[in-house]
Parts: sequence; structure tokens; C-alpha cells
Amino acid sequence: MIGASPGVETVEAPAGLPVSVSRGYWQQVVVRLVHNRVALVCGVIQVLLILIAVLAQPFVHLVLHQDPYAQDLTDNLVGIGRDGHLLGTDQLGRDVAARLVYGAQVSLLVGYLTVGLQILIGGTLGILAGYYGGVVDALLMRIVDIVLSVPSIFLLILLGSLSPRIGPITLGTTGPVTLAIVIALISWGGVARLVRAETLATKQRDFVLATRSLGAGDARIMFRHLLPNVVSVMVVAASLSVGGVILVEAALDYIGLGIAPPTASWGNMISDAQEYFYHSVSIVVLPGAAIFLTVLAMNLFGNGLRDAIDPRLRRFR
Amino acid sequence: MFGTYVVRRCLIAIPVLFGVSLLSYALLSVTAGDVVPGLALNPNITAADIARIRDNMGLNEPFWQQYTNWAGLLWPFGRLGLFHGRYTTGLLEGNFGNSAVNGLPVMSIIATHLGNTIELTATAMVIGILIAIPFGIIAARNHGGPIDNILTALSVAGVAVPSFWLGLVLILLFAVGFSQWGLPSLPTGGAVSSFGGGGIGDRVVHLILPACVLAFGYLAVWSRYMRSSMLDVLSQDYMRTAQSKGMSMLRAIYVHGLRNAIIPLVTLIGLELPNLFAGSAIIEIVFSWPGLGLEAYQAATDHDFTVVMALTTFVATMVVLGNLVADLLYAVLDPRIRYG
Repeated sequence: MIGASPGVETVEAPAGLPVSVSRGYWQQVVVRLVHNRVALVCGVIQVLLILIAVLAQPFVHLVLHQDPYAQDLTDNLVGIGRDGHLLGTDQLGRDVAARLVYGAQVSLLVGYLTVGLQILIGGTLGILAGYYGGVVDALLMRIVDIVLSVPSIFLLILLGSLSPRIGPITLGTTGPVTLAIVIALISWGGVARLVRAETLATKQRDFVLATRSLGAGDARIMFRHLLPNVVSVMVVAASLSVGGVILVEAALDYIGLGIAPPTASWGNMISDAQEYFYHSVSIVVLPGAAIFLTVLAMNLFGNGLRDAIDPRLRRFR
Repeated sequence: MFGTYVVRRCLIAIPVLFGVSLLSYALLSVTAGDVVPGLALNPNITAADIARIRDNMGLNEPFWQQYTNWAGLLWPFGRLGLFHGRYTTGLLEGNFGNSAVNGLPVMSIIATHLGNTIELTATAMVIGILIAIPFGIIAARNHGGPIDNILTALSVAGVAVPSFWLGLVLILLFAVGFSQWGLPSLPTGGAVSSFGGGGIGDRVVHLILPACVLAFGYLAVWSRYMRSSMLDVLSQDYMRTAQSKGMSMLRAIYVHGLRNAIIPLVTLIGLELPNLFAGSAIIEIVFSWPGLGLEAYQAATDHDFTVVMALTTFVATMVVLGNLVADLLYAVLDPRIRYG
């Protein structure tokens, strides 16, 4: 898919014909994305963030020479660049830079995992509803209505304090994986609506009829033929919602119902730091700036990806 | 046809409301073991006492019976005296249950906090609209210029900034910092001052920071929409006609452009109606604003789950009804929607 060559593109998608999903289409997407400077920069920032998060441990120990959990009360709240601490230390003398790197791990894991699960749940149910229509559609869309009407922050507060157990699974919000599952379970409705609408439009097209006349079953039509056509909607929805999920996760950590200390997350770093604002402004500002810049990069990349995938949507520029 | 649409739209809301209440109650029942907080920690209460209390609260009944009692689904039978056994009023009769911690009816908690939430969200929305419209017009008129770019950057930032952090930084600056430096400062939280508060001026002063933080998020989104719809309108023929007849650009915008450009924004604001009840929970918590969100949060930290669940159900009900009202209003305003 990657490694675009304009020659192949023009052969596969001659001018004037509607471009369907094919190798050429995705190559065009990559070409358009690379030509959008803002999106390109934000994409690079995202890749760097992912690298830092994945390689957090070696990065912190070999580059920063610090441990995010090592406390030193004789060396707490030191300023930026002092005593070998690149971004200073917090109230317990822990290295802020190292904690920010570990916090990136949490935010990115929750962000991407949640969006992946949203796509899995919302995408599957959206295709089913759009393809079968009728009673299945009405039933699934009412479930979507229910999920979308319960205000997510109230539900997260409820779930965060209850930690309900369903069989062997505890739906707590204190670990990144369970938190991602919880947020995904209450936020897949939007994706389901988008995918359903796209499926409704796609299933009217002739190639679906042709496939069915060749004897393909429902499952084959849905997942081999409809899915590739709705996947671009999913990709756009996913890339635009990662940022929002990270904001929700940080807010939940901040109010004490999310990732529990001592695990460092950007949200709980802010709530720990706020009482020591007089002694160090940077320990409040830095984690917030980290959230802001990450979400900003993800939103702008999502915008670029949307423009690249569907140039018709570019009218707002 | 319009009547049919109204009836159909209302009927659709019923299963959704049913599902919302069922979802909340199911969540609570999964943790029914902890419904009465702290009971097991009290050394003077025996296991037999706990069993008796749970029995009195109806927690030993089957799930469906508990749910129908809580939701009050049997109220016609109860009212007509046809119900055998223990009958209590439920959701359908406006009884949201009692707090397990202090015994207060949840309905009275809602009555004292709902107004505060609406005061905050409505103020934020009004501030958002009042700034978004001129910002959108200015950005569209300077399309591609430096002012447009600055406003675009501001709105992109407004979507990406964590609202709780912005609120915290503003508190630290305008409330804590300013009072330290001997400048006139804003209060750090709450809706009124503890001593001698409660007047209009006092409430307004408390409202400024939380409403501005909340409005920033609305402003970011709405000014973008206003800009793009104003750009659309500026390229229309009737705008050129108006100017060629000698009308100034600004006058043409205010006489002809604005009312056309504002239509998509009105739709968008209508979609935000349900957020009057739910949109501000995090900001309420940051600013200790005594609304439904803060109340739910405090109940959650007190392990008073019946209150959290009842508040969640109430707010979700308001969201469903808000969506219903918004849909019906569109049907009235825009005749094309009626058959949809």
C-alpha cells in the first residue's frame, strides 16, 4: 500500500472514472497525505510519540538516565534542567521527563486500543444493521440510541466507582486495558451510525448484486465486499476520535477515577501537582501541554487523513 | 403526515428510555454486594443484620422484580390497589429512590442541583454563540489572511486543550495568583460565597471562570461552522447583487448574509440541547460547581451508588427528551424533514 508510484495510479484509475477502493486509491491517499504539510508533520509527531511510548523503558534509562518511580525527597520540586533532571522533579523528587514518557505510554495505549475496539464493535454492528435492514437495523439502532444518550462522563463516574464484575472480567477504570474496554463499550455508537449509513449506500451498488448472483453468501458479501468499501469511513472516524478519547482518559485520571497512582499518567500527574503549584509551575503546565500537543497532532493528522481519503470533504478550507 | 411523524418519533423514545433505565439498573445490580456502603465494616453489625437489611431493601428478590419495582412499571396496578405485596412508587411516578448514605430522596438532590447545572451550561452556550458568530464572520471576510489563520489556530487549539487543565490553570492564575499579587481576584470555586454570598453579583463572579472554560470548547467548534457557512454565503449571487446595488459589504452581510449563514449553526446548537444537563460534569468537578455532575462525582466517592445511578438515569432521560424536542422542532421549522 505504501510506496506510491504515480504511473500505476493512472493505469488503475483513469481520469473520469469513479475511483473505487483499489491499490491505486490508497496510493493516491498516501500521495495526497504527503503533500499536506501540516498532516505530514503531525503524522511524524504521532510516529515519534508511538516510538517513545513503545521504547519508554530503554529511552528513560539510556537517554534520560532516570527512573520514573525513584523518589528523592531531598531533591524534590527542582526546576527545569537542574540536578540532571531535564524537566525538573515533582513533589516526591521523581523525574518529570521520565514520568511524562511513561504517561505517553498510558495515553497512547488507551487512545489506540479504545478506538480499535470502537471500530470492532461499532463497525461490525454498523455493517450488520446496514446490510440486513428491517428489524435487525431497528433493534441495533435503538441500542445505539441508548448508548449515545447515556452521558459518557456520568457513566464513567458510575463505572469507575462501581468496578462491576461480569463473570471473570472486572470492568474497572484503574488499568489502561480495562479503561480502554470501558470507554469503548460506551462510545462505539457514533462509529456504528457512520458505518451503517455507508453500508446502506454501498449495498445498492451493482457489484453487490453481481456478487450475490454469483452465489456469495451474506457473510462473504459483508466482510469481503462491503467492508473494504466502508473501511475508509472507519479509518477517518478512528483517526478523528483518538484525540477525544485521550482527553476523556486524562480527565478521568485527573478526577481520580482513572489510572491509579503510582502508575504515571498525564492526568494523575496534573492532579498530584496542583497542590504544589506555588513551588513549581512547570509540574502543572508540562503534563497539560503534553496532552494538548498530542491531541492537537492527532486531530490535525485526522483532518489531513480525511481530506486525503475523501477530497470532496475538503470544502472547509 | 406531520402527526404521524410526531407519534412515531415519540414512540421510538419509549424503548430508548426503557433501555437506558435497564442499563443503569443492571450495572448497579452487578455490584449489589456493595450497595449499602460500609455496612460490612461496622463491627456492631452481624451477618444476620446485613441479610435482614438487604432483604428489607428488596435486594434478595429476582433481578426483574427489583427492576420493575425500581422503575415503577407496575404503577397502574399499584394505584388501582390490584398489586399484592410490597408496592413502592418508582421512576415512572418520579421516585428516583433514596441515598443509601443519608437517606435523602434523589429527587430532592436533583431539584437543588439541576438549576445550577443549567445556569452554567446555558451561560457557556450563550457566551459561545455571542463570540462564535462575529469570529466566524471576521474569519470568513479575511479568508486566508493572518486574522483568519489566528482564529483557525484558536479553534483548533480549543478542541485539543484538556478543559479540566485549562480550568485549573485559570484558577491558579486568576484566583490564586491574582489574590497573592494583591490584584482583584476571582473565586476559586463554588456557586456562591460561603459568607454573605448569594446575591446576583456574587453568583456572576463565581460563574465567570467555569462558564468561560466551557464556552471555549463551544466557541472552537461553532466559530468553524460559522466561518464555513459564511464563506458559502459570501460567494452567493444575491450578495454580489446587493453590493452592486450600492449596499456596503458589511451592510449586505448583516441584512442578507447573516440570517442565511446562521441556519447550519442553529441546527448545531439544537444538537447541543441535551448537553444543557450533561455537558459540564468535568468542569463542575474542577470548579466545585454544585451541579448534577459534581453531585454524581461526590456520591461516587462516597460509594453511594444508588444516587450515582439515579442521577445517570435522570440525565440520560433528559438527553433522550432533549433529542426528541430538537427533532420535533426541526420538523416544525423545516417542512422537508416531516416524512423522514
